[in-house]
Amino acid sequence: MGTTRPSNVIITLISIAYIILFVYTAVSKLMHLSQFQLRLERMPYMESIAPWVAFGVPFVELVITGLLLIPKYRLIAFHACLGLMTLFTAYSAIVLNFSESIPCSCGGVISAMGWKVHILFNAFFILLALLAIFQIKKHKAQLSKQHTT
Amino acid sequence: MKTKILKFILPAFAIIMAVGLAFATDESNATQTGYYNHPILGVQSISTDCPDFGTVQCMEGPYQVFKDQNLTIPLYEPRE
Repeated sequence: MGTTRPSNVIITLISIAYIILFVYTAVSKLMHLSQFQLRLERMPYMESIAPWVAFGVPFVELVITGLLLIPKYRLIAFHACLGLMTLFTAYSAIVLNFSESIPCSCGGVISAMGWKVHILFNAFFILLALLAIFQIKKHKAQLSKQHTT
Repeated sequence: MKTKILKFILPAFAIIMAVGLAFATDESNATQTGYYNHPILGVQSISTDCPDFGTVQCMEGPYQVFKDQNLTIPLYEPRE
């Protein structure tokens, strides 16, 4: 009791990285919501859904943060992290095929990154989510094996 | 004790740090009125967050956005 496995430490550290990322970007977006909406309206394919996305993205980010805080829901949270980051990355990659410069609506200093750096940054977080999912599943499999033996 | 730190203290610290960082790195580029020339409707005004300086021209759809109604001072994208 009270001991920490290396896999638990990895999962917690990845959770913290995602909590910092999502809380930071959500708060940055919410502080300038109208400006965030304006930038979204100027992005390709976003014009009609910009008001929904402007509220939806920070809301989803904060919900995922809440799920990451509860160990029971971490697997669902990491799947959501993976989905959201993949969606952002796929959208950026598709849009960059059509335009060299698109206004970034990422929130805070993250918008200061170039688009290529931004895609690499997202890819790194996608890998972290995959690693966390793998570790949680491995940990669960070990637990069920211990119960059966 | 170690588990307690991992489960509660670190996530709480992470949230506080992220909120603090968001305020600390807050950039306040306010919105302003910009103008573009529509081929049928003429000069149109829009609300934009494009600043007066930069490298990439600010666009509203296919139209370039300017700071003044005479369409002489161009505006630029906030950042790439």
